[in-house]
Amino acid sequence: MSLQSRLGWWGVCLALATGAAYAADSDTARLSKDPKNWAMQAGDLNNHRYSELKQITSKNAKDLTVAWTFSTGVLRGHEGGPLVIGDTMYLHSPFPNKVYALALEDQSIRWKYEPKQDPTVIPVMCCDTVNRGLAYANGKIFLQQADTTLVALDAKTGNELWKVKVGDPKIGETTTNAPHIFKDKILTGISGGEFGVRGRIAAYDLNTGKLLWKAFSTGPDKDMLMDPAKTMTWTDGKMAPVGADSSLKTWQGDQWKLGGGTTWGWYSYDPELNTVYYGTGNPSTWNPRQRPGDNKWSMTIFARDLDTGMAKWVYQMTPHDEWDYDGVNEMILADIKVKGKPRKALVHFDRNGFAYTMDRVSGELLVAEKYDPVVNWATHVDMKSGRPQVVAKYSTDKNGPDVNTKGVCPSALGTKDQQPASYSPKSGLFYVPTNHVCMDYEPFQIEYTAGQPYVGSTLSMYAAPNSHGGMGNFIAWDAGTGKMVWSKPERFSVWSGALSTAGDVVFYGTLEGYLKAVDLNGKELWKFKTPSGIIGNVTTWEYKGKQYIGVLSGIGGWAGIGLAAGLTKGNEGLGAVGGYKDLAKYTELGGVLTVFALPNR
Amino acid sequence: MKSVHVLFLLPLAMPLTAWADDYPTSGRVEFVLECMQKHDSKYEYLYKCSCVIDRIAKALPYDDYVAMSVALRNQTLSGERGAVFRDASTAKDMASKYKAIEAGADKACAVPQR
Repeated sequence: MSLQSRLGWWGVCLALATGAAYAADSDTARLSKDPKNWAMQAGDLNNHRYSELKQITSKNAKDLTVAWTFSTGVLRGHEGGPLVIGDTMYLHSPFPNKVYALALEDQSIRWKYEPKQDPTVIPVMCCDTVNRGLAYANGKIFLQQADTTLVALDAKTGNELWKVKVGDPKIGETTTNAPHIFKDKILTGISGGEFGVRGRIAAYDLNTGKLLWKAFSTGPDKDMLMDPAKTMTWTDGKMAPVGADSSLKTWQGDQWKLGGGTTWGWYSYDPELNTVYYGTGNPSTWNPRQRPGDNKWSMTIFARDLDTGMAKWVYQMTPHDEWDYDGVNEMILADIKVKGKPRKALVHFDRNGFAYTMDRVSGELLVAEKYDPVVNWATHVDMKSGRPQVVAKYSTDKNGPDVNTKGVCPSALGTKDQQPASYSPKSGLFYVPTNHVCMDYEPFQIEYTAGQPYVGSTLSMYAAPNSHGGMGNFIAWDAGTGKMVWSKPERFSVWSGALSTAGDVVFYGTLEGYLKAVDLNGKELWKFKTPSGIIGNVTTWEYKGKQYIGVLSGIGGWAGIGLAAGLTKGNEGLGAVGGYKDLAKYTELGGVLTVFALPNR
Repeated sequence: MKSVHVLFLLPLAMPLTAWADDYPTSGRVEFVLECMQKHDSKYEYLYKCSCVIDRIAKALPYDDYVAMSVALRNQTLSGERGAVFRDASTAKDMASKYKAIEAGADKACAVPQR
């Protein structure tokens, strides 16, 4: 036996030993390592949205053509994207949250699942009835319904295996996030920051739906699964324990009970550190005068132990939010050089307009720079205290209620919302869809009523002044230096998740409905107009030797989608948006998944 | 000889006709189908709607037509997303300019306003 094969055997033994130790692990991470699959919403545990496939390249992307299309039968905004495992695609829809299993061979429907949900959940969804997609593990498909039901389906038959309620729509709690599978657990969050809900993240058993742990964003330490002596945060230029009652001390009275800090974004997981990363949303209400203090831990990056839920470290990006800059955007894990030194980094493009590079092991703040030069609400982030330096004239708190604070950049949409960026390990850069929008913001006094909007501000938005006149950019970002590499102007905000590939192509969608392919320098290679605006995320997979690119279009604007939906009367689509109509009568038409491939030679 | 003439004349004609043919067939078909649908799918609207999109194509390059018609369409979106199109002056300007161009084309092509 040669040394090499002996080492090989040793490797197998080691693999068997560790395999036994994690017998309950899901197959999700393994499946996502095969680039033919797209087994998780972000493609992998790291939120990279990157594929090793390279049949489609920067040379031939111009030849891409429509391979097939599939309509979901539902109007309104289509976020997220399909999963592909082997020869099957799993696709979701917005409310009523239909699920389809499609045979890739001929796009026939293997099974369809449509939950019965109370339509009264619709008016308590702040920002359209979106759903960000499904999760897959161990032969099961997981759906997080709008009405907060988390359901497990048999991936072969679509039969229900278990169901659990993770919230209560009667008090304004809804769910829009995709569930996330990490190791042997399924993690999910909550939406409703506009309704005064108390944000949290919860882990459930994959096989039974049993609650394993739940961690709130605000309140007493035990509710937040926070150890005052061991949970660390960036303090005076170094990491230090958060101390006792770190959240309670930053709210007036029991306001933390309505504190927001929702969790509807894209989480990530580092198996070596056994740590899960996610962000929390805005504190309720939007009127900052009504909730003095830092409002911890809203607007925060959380790092938690996956098995116990205990918080390892936290970092609050926007203490005492005055502009609705939710911190929920995706947490991207990348091993990169930061200021010349190799780091296990976490990179996060926040709504507040700053891109953060953290050491994901320790929680140290490494880089915090504006990723759109028009960002003006803060001059910079003080690297010692970690706090943004707020510009007084843009402080809606200082200006007070019933005063219109003008010219704040970014708007409440953020420089970027949830639409996830892509990281290419090949180029080492991040490709980021952004907003280029500013706002006038006027807070007003508001009383809390359960299940009613708890917003307390009026705002108007417009394209960033004295710029290119467009409302969006698609940018490339170097997170090691905190510098923009290039920026491609767009007429409208870019609300579609990006994809980068080993073929040196980066894809994203636009609100006009274009799917665009650009090269690594941001040069446009190809564009194709799909039937409606794109707010879904671009995905890729391989089937029978061919690489495919797929994206959902469907923003909810009535005319284009009305056509795609095959509605016979012009006002049906309008009614569905304007007044909300019964969606049940629409058949298998509606928002559209358009799939592209290179032509056969 | 003829081709020389064409080449010579082209720059002069540019401001008026540079974009005259930049609408993809699919873009025109999409418009006509949707427009016919708005008018109860009556066959006469095959001609009338084609007339409208041909006129729009003379007034606007394809990319502008797409962006401006989207700006108008998305004003009906609910919530924060629609607010961008209802509030933002750039989007509002695009929408109203397009509305005027389409109304003019409708009138010229005998398409009643709906």
